[in-house]
Amino acid sequence: MAREITAGELPGPITREQVKQLQRKNRRENLGRSWYKFSRNPLSVIGGATILVIVLVAVFAPWVAPFPEHAKPFTDFANASKPPSAQHLFGTDEIGRDILSRVIFGFRFSLTMGIVVLTLVVPTGVVLGLLAGYYQGSWLDTIIMRITDIFLAVPSLILALAIAAVLEPNLFNAMVAVSLMWWPWYTRLSYGLASTLRNEFYVTSAETLGAGKLHILFREILPNMTSPIFTKMSLDMGWVIIIGATLSFVGLGVQPPRPGLGTMMASGAKYLPDQWWIAVFPALGIVVVVLGFNLLGDGLRDLFSAEGV
Amino acid sequence: MRLLGFLTRRGFQSIFVLFGLSILIFVIARVLPGDPARAALGARAPQWVVDRLREDMHLDEPLVAQYGYWLGDALQGDLGISLVTRRDVTDDIRDFLPASLELVMFAGLITAVGGIGLGILSARNKDKWVDNFIRIFSYMGVVTPSFVAAILLLLLFGLVLDWFPTIGRLSEGVPRPTTITGFYTIDSLLAGQFATAWDALKHLILPAVALALGSLSQEARITRSTMSDNLSKDYIAAGRALGVPERLVTGRFLLKASLIPTVSIFGLDFAATLSNAFLVELIFVWPGISRYGLNAMLRKDVNAISAVILILGITFILVNILVDLGVGALDPRIRLRAARSD
Amino acid sequence: MKRLLPILLGIALLAAACTPTPAVEEPPPEEPGAPEEPAAPEEPAAPEEPVPLRITFAWPTFIDPAVGNDFSSSHAMTNLYDSLVFPTADGTMDPWLAESWEVSDDGLTYTFRLRDGVKFHDGSDLEASDVVYSYNRFQDIGEGFAYVVSGAEVSAPDDRTVEFQLSAQSGLFIPSLVRLYVVNEDLVRANTLAEGPYGAEGDYGKEWLLTNDAGSGPYQVVEFPLEEYLLMDKFEGWWNAAAFNPNAPDQVRFIATTETVTVRSLMDDGELEITDQWQTIEALEALDAMDGVSSMAFPTMNSFYYMMNNRKAPLDDVNCRRAVSYAFDYDQAVALEWPGTKQMVGPVPATLGGHNPDVTVYKRDLDKAREELALCQYGDDIADYPIEVVWIAEVPAEEKWALLFQANMADIGIPVEVVSNPWLSVVENTSSQETSPHIVTIYVTASLPEAGAMLQDRYHSSTAATWQQNEWLLDEDLDARIEDALATVDQEQRFAKYAELQAELADQAVSLFLYDQLQKHAVADYVDWRPEANSPVQGYQIYAPFIGVSPP
Repeated sequence: MAREITAGELPGPITREQVKQLQRKNRRENLGRSWYKFSRNPLSVIGGATILVIVLVAVFAPWVAPFPEHAKPFTDFANASKPPSAQHLFGTDEIGRDILSRVIFGFRFSLTMGIVVLTLVVPTGVVLGLLAGYYQGSWLDTIIMRITDIFLAVPSLILALAIAAVLEPNLFNAMVAVSLMWWPWYTRLSYGLASTLRNEFYVTSAETLGAGKLHILFREILPNMTSPIFTKMSLDMGWVIIIGATLSFVGLGVQPPRPGLGTMMASGAKYLPDQWWIAVFPALGIVVVVLGFNLLGDGLRDLFSAEGV
Repeated sequence: MRLLGFLTRRGFQSIFVLFGLSILIFVIARVLPGDPARAALGARAPQWVVDRLREDMHLDEPLVAQYGYWLGDALQGDLGISLVTRRDVTDDIRDFLPASLELVMFAGLITAVGGIGLGILSARNKDKWVDNFIRIFSYMGVVTPSFVAAILLLLLFGLVLDWFPTIGRLSEGVPRPTTITGFYTIDSLLAGQFATAWDALKHLILPAVALALGSLSQEARITRSTMSDNLSKDYIAAGRALGVPERLVTGRFLLKASLIPTVSIFGLDFAATLSNAFLVELIFVWPGISRYGLNAMLRKDVNAISAVILILGITFILVNILVDLGVGALDPRIRLRAARSD
Repeated sequence: MKRLLPILLGIALLAAACTPTPAVEEPPPEEPGAPEEPAAPEEPAAPEEPVPLRITFAWPTFIDPAVGNDFSSSHAMTNLYDSLVFPTADGTMDPWLAESWEVSDDGLTYTFRLRDGVKFHDGSDLEASDVVYSYNRFQDIGEGFAYVVSGAEVSAPDDRTVEFQLSAQSGLFIPSLVRLYVVNEDLVRANTLAEGPYGAEGDYGKEWLLTNDAGSGPYQVVEFPLEEYLLMDKFEGWWNAAAFNPNAPDQVRFIATTETVTVRSLMDDGELEITDQWQTIEALEALDAMDGVSSMAFPTMNSFYYMMNNRKAPLDDVNCRRAVSYAFDYDQAVALEWPGTKQMVGPVPATLGGHNPDVTVYKRDLDKAREELALCQYGDDIADYPIEVVWIAEVPAEEKWALLFQANMADIGIPVEVVSNPWLSVVENTSSQETSPHIVTIYVTASLPEAGAMLQDRYHSSTAATWQQNEWLLDEDLDARIEDALATVDQEQRFAKYAELQAELADQAVSLFLYDQLQKHAVADYVDWRPEANSPVQGYQIYAPFIGVSPP
């Protein structure tokens, strides 16, 4: 991997500027190589493309959805429960709303759920795990990791259900409930990584050179933990979305008339099997998003493991 | 001796974790807005009846005192009274836990057999159509939420094809077997009632498959990838070159080594199965602890919520210890490491 | 993805395509004879299978007569227990365990003569002391329907006589006795735990009565695994055995589920006779399309209200309330319900005794609505007063009407926000004036078959802090008039007082009166069930002794 640097390229002592340039170049090349590898795996590309399309569709939902007003409070009882047709590709629900439009807006809730939860959870979990891992064996390690154990002693969904049930049911509280249960996974992951990395040569040499603790934690160790964390994040987007849909399905997440995918499934389940489209298309929506994130995550994992992280 | 040491250490850790968990769930269950006593008795019950219930449950006292009462009682095996069923939570758990365990264990069996089986099949036929089919199937299995799978299975096999019953543990008119283990299949076999056992098994299949689908797919994927990795390892080639029978090579060397990751994620799979049971039991009207727990959560039944989470926590911890023992049995390196850290 | 989508779609389509044709296993045995004809007894068939009546219900079901009071519980209790009087379809009370009764001149002492030869399920005799014990147990526990029957001293001068000493006159005393179910004192005492919240009475047998019965009614508990089903057997020794339908079921099974797909599949397999009342209209139509199944509906004492908070702007102004009342499209609201549903006439269900048909009935009329709005003090800046409508999350069908309301109000410029809340939050929020929303949409069932009972439950100050009243009328004069009406022993005078109150409440537009709810079920055709012939009092619709079941 390392490029040989010939004397011709280095006329004198290298300047800071040159180092930076070299680093940038290296990074660009690495990125190019990664993209090449990534793009060789058709499944990852499909996953990435699916997510890209879903994100775009969700962001531009008001322009993409055929009937954007149907995602808001809206009634058209004359067109209630119509099966899929050219006008309504996914049919209409019991209130006459276009299901395709609602699924498109539903992606917004799912993505919001995933993004917000991970934004809350990843920094918290990673910093805690980093500290505990670096100070392995100290009281800090004990406290953090024992608390983590407690939170991991019961499957996350169950505690999330319990917390969501005691709070007022809405999307925000569902995100709070899932976040409270999800950080320990990142703590545990980064704990394992940090406790290995702290014995690496470059860390110990930085220590010998008298680098500050903050520098070591965040500039030496943390950058080397990013690949597994990003992989997990991509896979977790899928799981968080499933948990969010599950909470909505039992009435503890997105509240109607807002078009959460799980919410729509729950009300659609009442009309099975005859008006199957009311429940089936939102369900497919969930499956497609989760599938996209999983394919993407698997692609990233293969990529990083090939790089030997 | 080493095993004993391991178990003692894990035992102490578990007690600590359970203690912490009890505080956590107590806080979750009790710091809720609203009055659980009023919620339980309904709007038309006179205030004095509500006050009496609050007093019975120590709801008027500070939270720390409430926790003291709860812990003291819990240590004596008294988990309080459920506000929904209006009887001791321990009675409810005694009634509902076996149904869930039977379901979850059966699902575990399907996961193990199906997952490893599909994984081996896939690895053996790498990149052929069987492999591709299994890979797509297991991908879909992983990403389909269990409640979606449950509803689809119910529709397809319960309603359209009508192959399986869709509700409960036994058909009506079929007497319940006398309780020995609480598992209807096993109890009826022990009593020699084969028709009952068959009926119980038919009731188990759909919910168990719905529960197992995700984990099964996960296991299949892991088994496939480790097996195909290991197939290219030197020791396999060496084994074959030395003329070791093929059965022994795949069966003994390959499978054993390949099962380590499969077994070690079994703990996680079990967690997923336990969680998914919350919805699958609801959909199949399975009278288990998860359906009971979900109802308790939705109705703010404080004692039942605490008890269910505690029981599931204990179950989960036990399963994780078993998984660690299993991995140790498969992998001498892990055994050695554990021994060193003693 | 591309490969999978069609597969899943295919499955779904298959499901949709296959269901309307139920598995044709056998051609229906076309019997020209009437189904009521008793099964030919000459067939020397082997030990006959017990004929079941299977009904799905929403859990939980409490069969302890001092605890249960919801839909499924009251149906269980009516089939397991007897009361002193029995409600009829026309709102009167038939003698039941009480053969006859007398009222003292001051209207405060009621003396009941008990019927001879009434046996409990364990074979022991039902005596006056059992009635006294049942009443005291009921009042001491205070749950369930205890609020309906109260304010009396009960004694048993002899084995066959029971005396109720009332503290005040009441026009509803006799009807209220339908909720006093008589338990077997000896049996309950024998199964009472010494430790419990009721002092010397221990736990009053509550734990035992949770899954066992101590009644004398037409059916008795065989098996009751909680959250699964309640199985009851016919009690051949019932004192009124002559009243059994010749084809009355041998067994009654309440199945604890209301899941649409499950219910459909049970019906499809011939494992269900009557569905629960929670099925959607679409589900009932689909069930109706099945061979051998019909959907039906009948009136109840249940009405759908939009409870307006009369103390929250802009609904604290009567003209604004009238504007809302005139802007709502009742015909559309009724059209969204089962065919035959009728708009409410005044503030109580039309099935109740003393209902007044001559009150202001609001119809959608946008001109009138705008006129009223102009009179309202908030009329000019109504856009600044958004109205929050809360519907019950557990009853998803309510969303339709909430959205309809929103669309209707938009026509006269009233902004509406639609919100769903879980039931327990609604109970919590309606308990104080500050947290009560502008409007909450609730189905309310009258506790007794008279208009006065509903007026008291809905508009008397004593219920203001409960979910039964979001109106917060808190009107002392109204309270006094309701109390006076209820205490009037003479029926004609009582009904006249009810009528006046109804007219006034309707004129004040205190609530939005949507429609009288029909109770809807899908029923297997071999079931002979005529709920209209029964009393509308909750729990007496599915009264198994009067139902004939003759499976093919």
